[in-house]
Amino acid sequence: MKLFSTYIKEMKIAARGFYFYVEIIFAVILLVILLVAVKEESVSKEAEYLYNDIPSKITTYLIEKDINEGKARIAEPTEFKMKPVTFEITNQETSEVTLYEFEEEKTITVETLEQLDPETGKLTRTAYIIDNEEDMIRLSYSEGKIGATVIMSEEGELTYKYYLQGYETDRLVDLLYILHNESGEVLTTEMDNQVVRKLGFEQQLNNRENLLPMFIVFTGSLMGFFIVMAYIFLDKGEGVIKAFAVTPSAVWKYLISKMGVIMTTTIISSLVITIPVMGARINYLLFLVFLIVTTFASSSLGLLVASFFDDMVKAFGIMYGLIIALMIPAFSFYIPSFDPMWMRILPTYPMLQGYKEILLKNGDTGYVLIYSLVFLVSGLVLFALANIKFKKTLTL
Amino acid sequence: MISVKNLSHIYSNNDKLAINDISFEITKGETFGFLGPSGAGKSTTQGILTGLLKLQKGNVHVAGYNMNKVDNKRFNKIGVSFEQSNVYSKLTAKENLEFYRKLFDVPTREPEELIKLVGLEGKENDRAGSFSKGMKHRLTFARSMINNPELWFLDEPTTGLDPTIAATIKEIINGQKAKGVTTFLTTHNMYIADELCDRVAFIIDGQIKLIDTPKNLKLLYGKKLVDIEFIDNNEVKKETLKLIDDNDKKRMYEIINKYKIQTMHSKEATLEEIFIQVTGRGLI
Ligand SMILES: Nc1ncnc2c1ncn2[C@@H]1O[C@H](COP(=O)(O)OP(=O)(O)OP(=O)(O)O)[C@@H](O)[C@H]1O
Ligand SMILES: [Mg+2]
Repeated sequence: MKLFSTYIKEMKIAARGFYFYVEIIFAVILLVILLVAVKEESVSKEAEYLYNDIPSKITTYLIEKDINEGKARIAEPTEFKMKPVTFEITNQETSEVTLYEFEEEKTITVETLEQLDPETGKLTRTAYIIDNEEDMIRLSYSEGKIGATVIMSEEGELTYKYYLQGYETDRLVDLLYILHNESGEVLTTEMDNQVVRKLGFEQQLNNRENLLPMFIVFTGSLMGFFIVMAYIFLDKGEGVIKAFAVTPSAVWKYLISKMGVIMTTTIISSLVITIPVMGARINYLLFLVFLIVTTFASSSLGLLVASFFDDMVKAFGIMYGLIIALMIPAFSFYIPSFDPMWMRILPTYPMLQGYKEILLKNGDTGYVLIYSLVFLVSGLVLFALANIKFKKTLTL
Repeated sequence: MISVKNLSHIYSNNDKLAINDISFEITKGETFGFLGPSGAGKSTTQGILTGLLKLQKGNVHVAGYNMNKVDNKRFNKIGVSFEQSNVYSKLTAKENLEFYRKLFDVPTREPEELIKLVGLEGKENDRAGSFSKGMKHRLTFARSMINNPELWFLDEPTTGLDPTIAATIKEIINGQKAKGVTTFLTTHNMYIADELCDRVAFIIDGQIKLIDTPKNLKLLYGKKLVDIEFIDNNEVKKETLKLIDDNDKKRMYEIINKYKIQTMHSKEATLEEIFIQVTGRGLI
């Protein structure tokens, strides 16, 4: 009862204040950016890695034919530096798993073919023709792009064995089929023979969806850290925290009520961004669980930090430092080659990864649940510490 | 109701003792005045008694609770008004009190009634943020009564209020006193102390110089002051001398012999003058 009326009061104050709207407006701005400025991934920018397991004469013939028809042109050969990597491939038809282990770094130079739209002459996709199947698979995996082995059957039909990332939509797969069907006009391509394989467990989202985890982490989970501090400092400034301290109500109720406000705004602002982008494609229950536990942990951290300072200005240094540190994983999230081990201990790393898993069609629910537990437990510890600290210094 | 033994307190960012070994008792129903100049340690003492500051050294019992083991249920019996008003500026006067009353487990007073009592009638639905300093102070004061406290802490209840409103506050305090409420009142206004308190303590530099009833203090020190106005080099000068002090006595003879006296009368010392006599310091 006390807790509820404290929460209602906090909501009233928040609604009459400024931060509440800042958060929601910020979310709306991010949503507009996502919807207007970020295009969903289109095939045109796609690259593919091809290994032609067919007589080289036929390859040459096919390429020349495309060039003559204005469907392709030869570009400068491309150099790829491949890092040591280990991954698995699942054959989707047989469920057979093959382990690939590459221990050496390797640099290869490959023939590059730019495929063009015959009408406009615009570049539609870039094909890298690799003369070794292993290298093709390895590149396909580490670049996160489609790979394919072109095989000729005994009947002289061209067949494609695709190496997909597992995130491609059915639409894209159909499109691939059509594209290759066209280019294989002479020798009929048979879709039935196509083996679609999934590379490792690496999956990806389209551009827009891919930005979503970061946006949710910043407007949701991390924002809680800031806003809870702002609310505490407002109260410290007004001295109302002292008035609360001389009532029979427990300090933790006061802290929880603050957190309740943060949760409310966080849930609203995160859903504002997520629903228009993801529609009904994700598990919102899991999403909310993860959102709530991560917000709980980060606002507990905010409470703890706030307990050490009298006002925002004094807390600014440590706040700034923490935010910069917490932002580092965002870089790694978008630059896959930057992924040092130490960074994984930063809580934003599993936050970003967790949201990604939630957004993915076949995301790793186990990962999300385990980290939900981790965030819940660390949130509780931080909250307990903040509570002890506030009991002592509420009144400074 | 309150018992304090050998209490000392030091702030971590200050190497001087804010409270230096003080002891006193306050009985039930008593109005106890804590008097001293700015920085004497009045608010610090109130902070410790209310539990807002952690007890560092000494034995303190408040309303039957040992302050070493803090139990915040005791606040059901306690009301606290702060030196600096602290209400939610985003909430209206009424909302502030409505919210506050819900934090208690005991019957509480009606917000409207309290708002009226402190002369804020008609302002119930105005946000506290739009209030003047004095109005906020009155709201803070009103809030401290919401749980019908048995023990009431008032830190500078009339400071910054205009005389009519100060008189209203005084009346309210007297009314509570008549109901048997024990009050710990901190002030540097001697008139307030004189009118309201059963006993007063003089505190300076964290130490209690004396504790007595205003009446006793006046008996001890009263009617023993003489104001003399005399002319020295065509200039009117004024001195106040204590008749109990030998040096002052000598000075009086000197003035009478040397100068032309204009006026001279004995008077009852005010509490403020007594404070100066006892502590050698003013109350500002
Ligand atoms: N938060 C604090 N940190 C450090 N020192 C403090 C703090 N609060 C008070 N002090 C110091 O403790 C001493 C007593 O201060 P206190 O506020 O108790 O005085 P006071 O009698 O209430 O004065 P006033 O009449 O101005 O309200 C002063 O020397 C003051 O500088
Ligand atoms: Mg004070």
